[in-house]
Amino acid sequence: MSGALAADRLGRMIQVTSLTKQYGAFTAVRDVTFTCRPGRVTGFLGPNGAGKTTTMRVMVGLTPATAGEVTIGGHHYRDIPNPGRHVGVLLDASAQHAGRTGREVLTLGAKQMGLPASRVDEMLALVSLSDLESTRRLRNYSLGMRQRLGIAHALLGDPSVLILDEPANGLDPAGIRWMRGLLKDYADRGGTVLLSSHLLNEVELVADEMILIGRGQIVASGTKQELLAGRAGGATHVTALDIASLSTALEASGYAVSAAGDGLRVETDPVHVGQVAADKQIVLTDLRPAEGGLENLFLELTSDTQRESITAEGVSV
Amino acid sequence: MSAVVAGPSPTIDTSSTPQVPFSRLVSVELRKMWDTRAGFWLLAVTGGLLVLAMGITLLVVALDDDVRVSANAFSQIMTIPVSLLVPVLAITSITSEWSQRTGLVSFTLEPHRMRVVWAKFATVLILALATIALAIVLGAIGTLLSSAITGTDAVWNLEAGTFAWSIFQQMAYFTMAFAFGLVFLSSPASIAIYYVVSLLLPFMVYGTLYAFFDWAKDVIPWIDFGFAVGPYVGQGPDPSVETSATTLLQVIVTFTIWIVLPFVFGLRRVTRAELK
Repeated sequence: MSGALAADRLGRMIQVTSLTKQYGAFTAVRDVTFTCRPGRVTGFLGPNGAGKTTTMRVMVGLTPATAGEVTIGGHHYRDIPNPGRHVGVLLDASAQHAGRTGREVLTLGAKQMGLPASRVDEMLALVSLSDLESTRRLRNYSLGMRQRLGIAHALLGDPSVLILDEPANGLDPAGIRWMRGLLKDYADRGGTVLLSSHLLNEVELVADEMILIGRGQIVASGTKQELLAGRAGGATHVTALDIASLSTALEASGYAVSAAGDGLRVETDPVHVGQVAADKQIVLTDLRPAEGGLENLFLELTSDTQRESITAEGVSV
Repeated sequence: MSAVVAGPSPTIDTSSTPQVPFSRLVSVELRKMWDTRAGFWLLAVTGGLLVLAMGITLLVVALDDDVRVSANAFSQIMTIPVSLLVPVLAITSITSEWSQRTGLVSFTLEPHRMRVVWAKFATVLILALATIALAIVLGAIGTLLSSAITGTDAVWNLEAGTFAWSIFQQMAYFTMAFAFGLVFLSSPASIAIYYVVSLLLPFMVYGTLYAFFDWAKDVIPWIDFGFAVGPYVGQGPDPSVETSATTLLQVIVTFTIWIVLPFVFGLRRVTRAELK
């Protein structure tokens, strides 16, 4: 099935159309258009200050758009009655009263949405906040705990859409893996997820589709494969039992080879490296696209919006 | 997961989730007033002040045979501790949405911002009524205790007219606190201005001027709400002032300056204010 067909079948749950937001002379978001589909996790990726947060604030009606519109499930967010039951939102995990306990934050949300108190315990269990932790005040929470609480709050009303701004920020590696599983599972059950991040690694593994934004404009979007497709100069990382023979064979086939860690970096796609190894009957122990394919693309596409100027060698000082 | 109608443009079915009723918003906002550490301690200290005020009054009654405290006077004394700190709750109810940034959640769960603000205002009025009710109850208890201590008959002299005006005055001051919160959207600024206007100026400046200068007696009731409403609640600095059309006009003028105008200006501010 082609991507376009799948997209039509899944439909468009979140539709952002020609969204522009200006603050005086400053344009925070310019003519942004994208969609998010049910059953998919959509990553919203861009450097700090690229307009991710502004876009999300407009989506949930906190900030009026200068032009364009956003619909979620066919509605403007403002027109959704009791929106917490349909759209789970986490804009900033630190935006909670420091003197309130975690449990109280969820209790207030449950009360307002008209949910039973048992829902609070379910959500606390879901995000692995213990009874003791839930009775502590927010000022004593680490950022990771606040994120867990924020995700619990977003999921309280059992919504069909999740909008999360930098949810992985402050989570430890185990926490990031946990969140990845949670969101994947949520999407598999038909939920629509939009999550933003300024870190590619956080998004790469969980997002089915990615939207790259830089200086308020969409610079690329699509699945990871689509983003990397047609990109010349893919590189491969390979290790083998007999590295020396492989290196010689690859060079003989005309590929540029350089040592990288305990293996080799080859300036071609993995399929060609595998072919050479198969021809020479060399046992490979690792074969994968060299890291940084997507990262390089990300940095390239958003380079004129970065604060540092980035070259192929790294950050120029 | 909430119901979704599938298709090329799936729609969320909102028919099973009516708008959050106003009464529920009010009960949530009431809970938010005392469920923080600041809110808890504010009420705890107020409780302490109440006990202190009652103790001192009873002590005076017990030690000085010439002092008789009527139920009305006792209730007025009890009104002081509940009026000192509790207006801060009216202020932080709105300002914490900005200073603690909880507005990001509050105004996302209820995107119609004004519904949240009116719910908060309702809780502020409820709070004002509760403080008066508490003062009346404690005043009655104090009256019984003092009559038991002194062995004299209790004086039950609460007048309906004065009582109604006291409730109005309390609601007006709580609304003033709330309105300053709306205008400044910052706890320190709102609290400082509120206490200057409601407490410091009347006691330190107006009171002094009123005592020493005749012109001040004519001018101050036109600029301070407390002095304007004084003759109606039996707490005016000059007991000889009779209520008249002029005093009523003074109440209207000062009420407009210090309560209506900040409230209207503050509502406009909140409608437009960005939540950072």
